[in-house]
This record gives sequence, structure tokens and C-alpha cells, in this order.
Amino acid sequence: MASATSRPLEYLEGLPGTTFYKLYQQPSTALAIFRRMLPDLAKCFVMAVLYLKDPLPTADLEIWVNSESKKERDNALSILGRLHILSTTLTGENVRAYMITNPFAASLRQALTGAEDSHSFGVFSQAPEHTLTSIANLDEYARRQWEGVMGYMVGTSALSGQRDTVNLSKGVKQLLQAGHLVEIRGNRVDITKDGFGFVLQDVNTQVWHILILYVESAEAIGMDSVEVLSFLFLLSSLELGSSYEKSHMTPNQLRTLTDLADFGIVYQEHADATRFYPTRLATTLTSDSSALSNPVTGSLTGPAGSSGGSGSGFIIIETNYRLYAYTSSPLQISLISLFTNLKYRFPNLVTGKITRQSVRRAIEMGITADQIISYLLSHAHPQLRKHSAAQSSGKGVPASVLPPTVTDQIRLWQLERDRLRATAGFLFKDFTSLAEYQAPCQYAAEIGVLVWKSDRKRMFFVTRHEQVAAFLRSQKFEKQETRSLGVMDTGKHVTKSRPMAFYTAT
Amino acid sequence: MNSVDASEHYELGAPDLSPSLLTIVIDTNPHAWAVLEDSLPLSKAIANILVFINAHLACNYANEVAVVASHSQKAAWLYPSHSEPQYRRADHDGDVTMNGTSDTTTPKTNKYRPFRIVEEQVTRNLKELMDSTTGDDLRGNMSTMLAGALTLALSHINRRTLAWAEEHGGANAEDAAADGNGGGTTSTNRYSASNEDERLQSRILVVSVSGSTDAAHQYIPVMNSIFACQRLSIPIDVCKLSGDAVFLQQASDATKGVYMALAEPRGMLQYLMMAFLPDQRSRRHLVLPTRVDVDFRAACFCHRRVVDVGFVCSICLSIFCEPPPGDDCMTCGSHLDIRDNAKPALLPRKKKKKKRVNGASGTGTPMSTPTPGP
Repeated sequence: MASATSRPLEYLEGLPGTTFYKLYQQPSTALAIFRRMLPDLAKCFVMAVLYLKDPLPTADLEIWVNSESKKERDNALSILGRLHILSTTLTGENVRAYMITNPFAASLRQALTGAEDSHSFGVFSQAPEHTLTSIANLDEYARRQWEGVMGYMVGTSALSGQRDTVNLSKGVKQLLQAGHLVEIRGNRVDITKDGFGFVLQDVNTQVWHILILYVESAEAIGMDSVEVLSFLFLLSSLELGSSYEKSHMTPNQLRTLTDLADFGIVYQEHADATRFYPTRLATTLTSDSSALSNPVTGSLTGPAGSSGGSGSGFIIIETNYRLYAYTSSPLQISLISLFTNLKYRFPNLVTGKITRQSVRRAIEMGITADQIISYLLSHAHPQLRKHSAAQSSGKGVPASVLPPTVTDQIRLWQLERDRLRATAGFLFKDFTSLAEYQAPCQYAAEIGVLVWKSDRKRMFFVTRHEQVAAFLRSQKFEKQETRSLGVMDTGKHVTKSRPMAFYTAT
Repeated sequence: MNSVDASEHYELGAPDLSPSLLTIVIDTNPHAWAVLEDSLPLSKAIANILVFINAHLACNYANEVAVVASHSQKAAWLYPSHSEPQYRRADHDGDVTMNGTSDTTTPKTNKYRPFRIVEEQVTRNLKELMDSTTGDDLRGNMSTMLAGALTLALSHINRRTLAWAEEHGGANAEDAAADGNGGGTTSTNRYSASNEDERLQSRILVVSVSGSTDAAHQYIPVMNSIFACQRLSIPIDVCKLSGDAVFLQQASDATKGVYMALAEPRGMLQYLMMAFLPDQRSRRHLVLPTRVDVDFRAACFCHRRVVDVGFVCSICLSIFCEPPPGDDCMTCGSHLDIRDNAKPALLPRKKKKKKRVNGASGTGTPMSTPTPGP
């Protein structure tokens, strides 16, 4: 799945089963999780089983999937299992069969048929709209607030004299600090390594990042994380441009609403208003990042106002590493300057060059090559896209939007420094026979958790152990799988008490 | 040091998945539904289809849907409603009719809004369509306007594909512009050149109830729509509730769609959910029902009869059930030399040969459909 989904997915997986039970009571939550967190194939499975009266025997499901797609199937099933959506039972004839767990199935059915009257999808404001807030205004509000947050992190708000500065509430600043995105030293705000990574991500990922931070911190201030989470999923199912009643909400939800307004995720005229508007940041939460790229990111990250309808991108890179950015936004300029040597600045254009020094400098600050490339990619000028599409027509392989020499070189510059990569996980070892070792190893490879294996040493390293352990148990292997830390340092294993990391030397 | 080329180190995120557009053609032929009344009345079928539509919309934020009714005398849009303005249109007195407004002021908030909009429009438009059908329309007209409905669906798909490409990448839009001037060849580029995953994934689902022998007079337009779909790689899925659809079997076969004749129409929703919901991307991983024994019979150009053995013009491959009058092809006008008053012993083989010639062009169907003359 796209990288954007990984963080909320990881967070949700970490929740205990009872939390899921509470979450899935709401149809809007079931719908949002179904739409946002599951791979395509998993969606097909869920829909196929949803209206079946009896559980679907595992053998039938295996027949249904192509034999070449075993990996995708196991991956889909594993995600469904981790999110507590699919469970296995035994039917009357003692056949293992899949079924959808109950609160989820009931809620999803309710969402599809609409046969319920909880206010799961929000209540429209009935009051006559004196001051109708247009979608353009909402976008502008969302952009200003969100850019304000970014500007605060990067430290541009002080130097953007021409812009009306956004007053960030104390809660926002605390949240950013709690999430280790910024550090406050005395009066100065310093962005951290995580923060650099954060500001270069696309907006959808950023919003999710912030929201997860918010949910995590909600516990600390005495709010129920389930309540906050399901409220977030409710927000994601609202409609842009209409206003919703606040009177049905619980105090905690109202409090959340006020906090989210500071980020520009929702809009209310003032804190005591009887209704609120979701902005595009909220309504596109369950979309893929591509779906919101144009209208939002265009107006959000592009030069304020000036680009308007002309699309989202403003950066042109040539194969000679020169970079031209048609922007006057101080935020964007300071972001670009993180990894570029800027040369000239014109009223609507900055030019510069990506060099080995500039990229190394960025990498030393904790920015990765992938982040730089994805930033460039998501802000590529339409002209670049047009060019690449023109190149690709005729050939089978689509040409990349950015010049391949540049992207490769940025990665190579990173590799010059970056020779080790750590992967947290678990080492399985001490298998008595080769056959005993091979079966779980192969299984781990199929479900996509295998990182490293050594047939000679009969060891393998996985990113998560629950399913492999379950597999071992089901295989009636009585071996105690040693879950211990494998630190591999160019071929040498050191065993410690807790599983933490695996280093791949390159 | 082999790893210096770094290819192993890229963690390429999965490319963003493009949404899919599902166009449903519902056969609303009253004669055929009357036959089905006991097992699956139209209202129940529509309810099932609506849940199916919701499931499709639930799968992706940007998924789209369109519904066309193939009625007995015309094909009509059920969703999206292209006739929306008529609700607000002032009549000759200058009064505004208030039909549509009642819907908007009663918010039913217990339903996800996109679901509700589709449901309201489909039911409202269907009701209008049924109300506007008079007894005279039905008398002597047993068939359904499948060709018209398929054409509407195709034009909608084309429009949405262009609009989507324009929003998500500059060059495709330029292609489209060139298409207007250049014609034929560029249009295939637009659909096939760029990565399959990067364009709007469109497919057509035909919910069919009428027998197709009634529809033989639409043979040529239907086949033309099928070939258009084949060219644009849009699968036509067929969900067959009753009757026997010769052309639809060919349609799903030619476009690699799913063909299912429901043994038990009451279980329609489960069939829809399991066989017809997966989009093109998921279908790669799934084993889906298709029909093996496809009925490849064609309809003749002269009387629109479905024929097993017929005459084929050697110039334009038109099919005739009997030698055309004056031995002149009715389509291209070439004079055909039919000696000995057409011994059919030779002609079937001739036809077969022609079929293979056409098949070699990569279409995969032994069917010839030159566009008939005006």
C-alpha cells in the first residue's frame, strides 16, 4: 500500500482488541477503515463474505484466488486479521472457515444500506445560513491554518512580513512538541529530524500524522481515545461545503472540534457557533493521496492565490540538476532551500542547483533521499508531467516525471553516508532440522515479513512474529522459537534479551 | 559492491491507485420483468443493485458510478441525472416547479451522503421513466434498447476518462486535444500507452433480462459498441437474470468480462458482491466466472435474423441469410458472383475462412462487423 497509509495502520494495529470492538460500533468508522486501510484484494474478500449467511470455507477462498497471487492473498488476510476484521471459525463439518467479526460486519452493512438512526454520518445544520461559507473560503482557511503550522515549524512565520500571521494556539504548539517534531529551547523553536521528514511529506500524510499524535495525546489529557478516533472517522465521511450541527455532540467531541479548528481541519465561525464546516483536509482523509492532490495541495502548498486553477506543481528540474521553482511562498522557498543551493530569487521564481553538498547537508539534518524525491515529485510542474507522459507514450514503460539521473544521484549521495539500515523485528533460530526451518521461513516470505534468512545457520529474521508463531504452533512444531534480538553486524549475530533491530549492511 | 547501483534500496511506494468508474446498464424491459415477478421483482433487484453500488463507492474515495436504463423504447440516464435543470425550470407562467426541493430540505443523515444521492436519483429517475411509459409504447415492442444504453455508457466513460486524465497529468489532456483533430490513432494511445493503472479504470455491467433474439435488429450497433469496448479495454460484465443473450455472451467474451447467468435470481446481491465487485486490478488475482461455450452466432444484415450458416460478402464481410437481391452486396454495393444459385455446401466454409482473416487482426473474435453504410 502507499506509504501514506502505513502510519495510521501501524497505530491501529497496536490497539487492543477491545478498542476495536468499541470502534467498530460506528458505521462511519467501519466504512472509513474499510476504505482507507485495506488493500484492494482485502476489500474484495470482505465484500464477498459480508452478505454470506455461513462462513466461507478457507479452501473455497484459496480456490477463488489465482495461484500466482498467493502472496497478495496472504498479505490481505494478514491485514484483515491484524485489524480484527476477519476471523476463522469451524463450521458444522469441522471445516476451517472465514467470517467477518461481528461489530464490523453489522456496522458495514448498516453503512451500506443505511438502516439505522444513530447520527453516525453527522447531522446537517437546519438553521438558515446567514453567512454561507463557500468552498473557496474553506480551502483558503484550511490552507492558511495549515501553512501557519508548517511555517511555525520551519520558522518562517517571522520573516513573512506580507502575510497575515496565523495565531497558533498553545495546544497546537504543545502537540508539535509532544510529537518531537519541534523542540523549544528558550524562546527559539528548533525543528527536529522527525520534523524535517514531516514537512516534506504530502499533506494527507501530514494530517494523519498530526491526528495520530492528537489521539495519542488525548489519553494524557483524560479523553477517551476511542471516542476521539471515531470522531475523526466521522469527520472524514462528512461533505465539503455543508455545515453540521454541534448540538448532538459530547463535550469531548466539542473539545476535539475546537482543537482541530486550530489546524484548519474544521472551520467554525467562533468557538460558540452552533455549527461547523469540515474543510477539505477532513473530507479527504479516507482518500488516496492522489485524489486530493489537485484541489487541495495545489492551493495548500502552491504559491498562495496566484496559481489558482492552474494545477499543483511549480518545480522544474533539469537533467543538469538545476531547479526552478515558481513560487513566492516563504514556506516553500525555505523547504526547497533545505536541499538546494539557491542562486537567484525573483518575484515569482527562485532558481538553484541540487549539489552533492546541499543533499549531504539535508541528509545530515535527518532528511532522507526518498523524502526529497517524493517532495519534488509531488510538486513537479505540469510541464514536467506533460513531458514524461509524452515520452512514455509509445513505449511500454512509463517515463519517470523527474529526470532519472537526478533521482538516482540523490539516492547515491545518500548511500555515500548511509550504509546501514535498521529494521526492528524478531529472530527465529535453533531449528533442529532443515525441514523444520524451511516451512516457517517460506511462510514468512509469503506473508511478506521475512527480512533476512540464512539456510546454513537455520535462522531467519522477520518484522512481526505473531503469525509465524501461530503458523509454527499450527504446524505442531514444538520447538520454542527464540524471540530474541538479532543484531547483525556484517555477518556476526549478537543475541540480546529484547528484539529490537536488524542491520542490513550494504 | 554490486549494491552500489542502489536499486535494492529504493522503497518504491506503491503507485497511487486510480479510481474506477462502474457503469451499470439495467435492462428495464417491462415484459421481461413481468416474467420474473415471482422470483425477483424489479424493486427488489433495484434495491440489491443499490447496495452493490454503495459497496463499489465504499471501496475507494474517488470511485464513480453511472447507471443507465435500457428501456423498451429508449435508453435513459438514471444516474448521474443529466436532466436535473428541468426541476428548477420555470413553466410558461414563470412559476418554478417545486418537485425537487423537497428532497433537499429533509436531511436523512443516517446515511453516508454519496450513497444517499445516488439512491435518491436512481429511484426518482426510474419512477419517472416508468410513469412516462404508456401502454402504446409496450404493445408490439418486446425488446430493449441495449445498443442505445451501451452507447450512452461508452460516451460517459469517454468523457470521464478525458476529464480525469486532464485533472491528473497534463499530457493526456493534450492527447485528447490532438484527438479531436487527428482522429483514430491517437485515441488508442490515450487509452493503452500509459500504464494501465494510471488511468481511470472503467467497466460496464449489464444486468440483462430480455432475450436477445428480440434484439437482433440491433445487432450491428451492439457489436460496434462491443468492439469499441474491446479497443478501449473496457470489460463488459454480464449478469444474466433470465432469457438467453447471444450477443452479450460475445460481449463479455470479447472484452474479457465476467459472464454469469444466475441460477437463483433471489441471491442476486451475493452474486454481485462476489463476482462483479472486484475491479480490474483485483481481477488479476482472482479466478472469475466466464463462459466457455460462447454462442458466436451472428445476425444477418438483411433481415436481422440470427443465423448459423449464412452468406458473407467477400469484399466487406457483411453477412446475409440469403443471397442479396440482384447479387449486389447491400452494404458495399459490390457485385457478387453467386453461381448455381448459391449452393450452401461451399459457402459455410467460405464464411469460416473470412472469420479467420478477421480474427488474425488480434481482436480475438471470429466476428466481422464492418460499419454498415448510411
